[in-house]
Amino acid sequence: MIELLVTVFSATFFVTVIRTTTPLLFATLGGLISDLSGALNVALEGMMLIAALTAVVVSVYAPWYVAVLSGVAAGGILGALMALFHLRFKADIILVGFAVNILATGGTVFALSQATGGDKGTSINLQSKAVPAVDLSFLEAIPVVGPTLKALLSGHSVLSWLGVFMVFAVWYFLFRTPYGLWLRGVGEYPAAPEAAGIPVGKVRAWSLVASGALAGIGGAQLAMFNYIGFTRDMTAGRGFIALGAVLLGARHPVGAMLAALLFGVFEALAVVMPSLFNWIPSEMIQTIPFVVTVLALVLFSYRAQRARQMRTLSKI
Amino acid sequence: MSSTSPSRWAMIGRETGRALTAVVIALAVALVVILLTSADPGAAFQTLLTAPLSSNRTMGLWIDDVAKLTLTGLAFSLVFQARQFSMGVQGQVYMGGLFAALIAMSPIGATPLAIPVAMLAAMCAGAVYGFIPGYAKARFGASEIVSSLMLNYIAILVVNYLIRAHLAPAGTGQLMTAKFPDTAIFPAIVPGTRFDLGIVIALIATFVVWFLLYRTSWGLKLRLVGHNPKFAEYSGIRSSFVMVSAMTVAGAFGGLLGSVFVQGRAFGNLAQNFDGNLAFEGILIAIVARSRPLAVPFVALAYGYLRQGAQLMGIRTDVPTEMISVVQAIIILLVASSFSLPGKKFIAGLFGKKPTPAATPEVAK
Amino acid sequence: MAPLLEAISIGKTYPGGTIANDGVNLTIEAGEVHAVVGENGAGKSTLMKILFGIEQPDRGEIRLDGKPVSFANPRDAIDHGVGMVFQHFSLVPSFSVYENVVLGSEPRNGIKFDRNEAIDRVRALSEKFRLAVDPLPPVGELPVGQQQRVEILKALYRDARILILDEPTAVLAPQEVEELFVAVRALVAQGRTVIFIAHKLPEVLEISDRITVMRGGKTVGSVNARDVTEQSLATMMVGREIALRVDRAKGRGELACEVKALKLEAENGVTVAADLNLKVHSGEILGLVGVEGNGQAELLEAIAGLRPIADGVVYLNGTSLAPKSVLERRGLGLASIPEDRIARGLATGATIAENLIATRLADKRFVRNGLLDLKAIKANALALIERFSIRSGGPGYAVGTLSGGNMQKVVVARELSEQPKLLLVNQPTRGVDLGATQFIWKSLTDARDGGAAVLLSSADLSELLALSDRLVVFYRGKIVAAFVNSDDLTAETLGTYMLGLSSQDPEIMRAALQ
Repeated sequence: MIELLVTVFSATFFVTVIRTTTPLLFATLGGLISDLSGALNVALEGMMLIAALTAVVVSVYAPWYVAVLSGVAAGGILGALMALFHLRFKADIILVGFAVNILATGGTVFALSQATGGDKGTSINLQSKAVPAVDLSFLEAIPVVGPTLKALLSGHSVLSWLGVFMVFAVWYFLFRTPYGLWLRGVGEYPAAPEAAGIPVGKVRAWSLVASGALAGIGGAQLAMFNYIGFTRDMTAGRGFIALGAVLLGARHPVGAMLAALLFGVFEALAVVMPSLFNWIPSEMIQTIPFVVTVLALVLFSYRAQRARQMRTLSKI
Repeated sequence: MSSTSPSRWAMIGRETGRALTAVVIALAVALVVILLTSADPGAAFQTLLTAPLSSNRTMGLWIDDVAKLTLTGLAFSLVFQARQFSMGVQGQVYMGGLFAALIAMSPIGATPLAIPVAMLAAMCAGAVYGFIPGYAKARFGASEIVSSLMLNYIAILVVNYLIRAHLAPAGTGQLMTAKFPDTAIFPAIVPGTRFDLGIVIALIATFVVWFLLYRTSWGLKLRLVGHNPKFAEYSGIRSSFVMVSAMTVAGAFGGLLGSVFVQGRAFGNLAQNFDGNLAFEGILIAIVARSRPLAVPFVALAYGYLRQGAQLMGIRTDVPTEMISVVQAIIILLVASSFSLPGKKFIAGLFGKKPTPAATPEVAK
Repeated sequence: MAPLLEAISIGKTYPGGTIANDGVNLTIEAGEVHAVVGENGAGKSTLMKILFGIEQPDRGEIRLDGKPVSFANPRDAIDHGVGMVFQHFSLVPSFSVYENVVLGSEPRNGIKFDRNEAIDRVRALSEKFRLAVDPLPPVGELPVGQQQRVEILKALYRDARILILDEPTAVLAPQEVEELFVAVRALVAQGRTVIFIAHKLPEVLEISDRITVMRGGKTVGSVNARDVTEQSLATMMVGREIALRVDRAKGRGELACEVKALKLEAENGVTVAADLNLKVHSGEILGLVGVEGNGQAELLEAIAGLRPIADGVVYLNGTSLAPKSVLERRGLGLASIPEDRIARGLATGATIAENLIATRLADKRFVRNGLLDLKAIKANALALIERFSIRSGGPGYAVGTLSGGNMQKVVVARELSEQPKLLLVNQPTRGVDLGATQFIWKSLTDARDGGAAVLLSSADLSELLALSDRLVVFYRGKIVAAFVNSDDLTAETLGTYMLGLSSQDPEIMRAALQ
């Protein structure tokens, strides 16, 4: 137990948490945007997976940032595809989402084997690149707190810093710009923005595109920083956990960040625990994020349900 | 409800037409993909379309898939008819498979009771696993989609662990159990193939689900809850009870599928990751069958053929099996959306599809 | 000079084949209040949706200031100075008043939404047009009358020259209607034009300058308001003399239902209704009067078993209902026609036959040992379709394929297929045409004459006054007045109690409650 506490309060653990949180954070923000626009995006998982593979393959031929952008584009295109089928052809959003997931599970393996010349497991044979870490070693020069600051803040992925910025950006967009107002209005009561002449379909479509793009960054971080290279099914349910995190984060960007951090902590624990507690089977440690999601979901839903009752009935 | 309704045959015709159109479009896309990626596209496409019929053995593989796809399709149809989006069949399959295996490997496994007891245990395990997200939704309002997906991952990890650490023969490093006793494995209907008891079970299950949905008051309640939960409540139907029981019963069928997996001739043991993602393909079956149980086996027959063709294409040619996921996704997208056959009007009202609340503030008076 | 707005030979057929408009002509002059009247189903709403760009006409032309225009969507209409206030408000409940007003045309400061500017503009508008409303609170917390003002402000914020009000008085108490009319007059005084859709004729005559009458998708004609009477307008509307009179009960029977010291709470413990005492006898109709949201609907829900009882008792023929389930209450002879047939009264995707037995799944005739008796279910459906003249393809068709009036008939048929002992009715004729209204009223009085005790809640005071033998008025979850119906009792009298402006002598109330 002592070892665990020592580990948890170490700077390396903090760095691990940030690393595990980052892909989840982007996926959660993506889930948040589509959720607030009124569409449950169950395809986050598939979007991340396809974006991860796209980023890895592109990184073989192009600089890392082009690779990340192509992952973002892949997610965005999938979002547009969902919008097309959901809004234009009136298919149920959940079924469309699962179509994307099925496409991702098989399609990435198929594409991977095409890209690697037959390997269906990993992209280990591809010379892929990584997202650079931000080196803040100069912080060490600061007296007293310098070394701690350096240990905590240096060495994070560029995308982790982008993630922090995106939490602010998404918040600003949702609550400080007219378009955020539109998006929230469309999600809560579409008849109102429609009557006000707001193109409801367009708002929804762009929300899905943005949702996919954000999930795409998450996928790129996963395959170009957390792991270097693509492995089949490497998202391992992160897209679904993100759905839980949206609810747990009270449908607010800052809440989304805290929820993503919570799951990140548990995923990080799953990373460090095997070396500390080798008597706990690794499969059981891997179940931790899923068990925590179910419990958190139940707990939060219960509280939200009660809060909702309070709200609706206060009107009477 | 009754077979006298004049619109019934027209509806079946229209739905079949839609499904076939979707399949043709999906196959056309598949052909393009194969043309772009294969060194010998002709052989690959031919394998995809004809290989399942090439021998008794491959036909057995096909029918084995049909049985399994029928069961998962039925489980999804049940929850979809209650308008629940529980995605937990995969987890139920693992739990069912686990408990069937535990029975098969226990002393009961060597007795003639092995098959029925193992099936029953699997159904109970699946039912419990289906009950959990249902209860969490009814009691706490927790989204059944997310919780059932999480439970899938948990079930797979737990079963994988048990196999690796406890159930596999010690010291071999195998990731599967030893073969069950013969008494615990389904007898073959055509010797030497996988054409076994599974397909019989699937057909019986089809009848049972149809009977439950269309001939019992529970089924009518379930469908009414699916159509309009507020109306159900107003009518005196306890919609949360119906919802939970629908997920539980669907779970039992998911568990049964687990037993068909591990006790069927294809395996005869419990292995890691045994479902090969087949459980999820029930979504496709249920959507194409419009959640009608009697349509499920037919859809499974057609889709199982395609699936087996893809498997054989992956083995015999340079096009990977996973290519078929493109076909799957396109079929789901097309069938779930409102596209219609050229020149024919799609009458949404007949299927009880309500327009999305977003569509217009109010319909004309 | 050309009229401000003209609609010429407008035709519109919906995909289902419903002909909503067929040769509609409308001429609006600048600065007038122009009423468009007609029965439900006459095509008023469709015409207004065409004028506001929600629907596109199949035929005909719209001219604004003499120039042909076509509105592809509401945005186009708004840009041309047309604004619309729907009967069902288009407001986002959690957004504040000012956010709702400016939604879609927000004042900006760079990419930022300029909140202060928005608040200032809303304040200025509400002063200019005498539409007093605080810009800051969320609209979901405002009373209906104020929400309507927010809707009007929304249109004015977009510089609407022409304001279309769709059945604006349907949701208001009489005194709120007066306030609305003050605002309408202020609008016209400032040069705006108002199109007023309605079916309550006294109001139409009071507020409008000219009136266009629609019937069966066509315009029957336009008249000056001062040249017509209520009766002549009504004749134009339906094409025949109408007598919406109902026979009163011949005499009431035994006490059927008694509500004693009933208290209802929301799930968070807030009291929504308290100290409710009333008695209903078999063979009488008791009208529940009140602005929506004052506890009438909650009382009906509690009796039906859809809402728990916090305190007090409800007896049906001497049996306390509190411990009984919905099904058991129905077994005791309770029937209920809910407020919104599509949301609560029907499963539109299920068949007519299934809908007709949905409330009787414990009945041995239809269900034995958990199995459905399909023959009995079909026979029951055929008999009820015949008896209530439901126009349909047959018992196996989905209810969703029926028209609104026939859907409501399915609900009525199911609830009245057996003579109920206690009948709960909420808004029975909302959105139903006049023919079906007469049929439904007749069904209610038949049930009453058959010995049912009827509790009727309606937003339409004329319906309550036409049908009820006694009336009780709800205000803020309490019964504040009770009346024995008579020709002297007017909507205005009821209105003062509905808004809590007058209070009744407890002795008089007690007498009328017996």
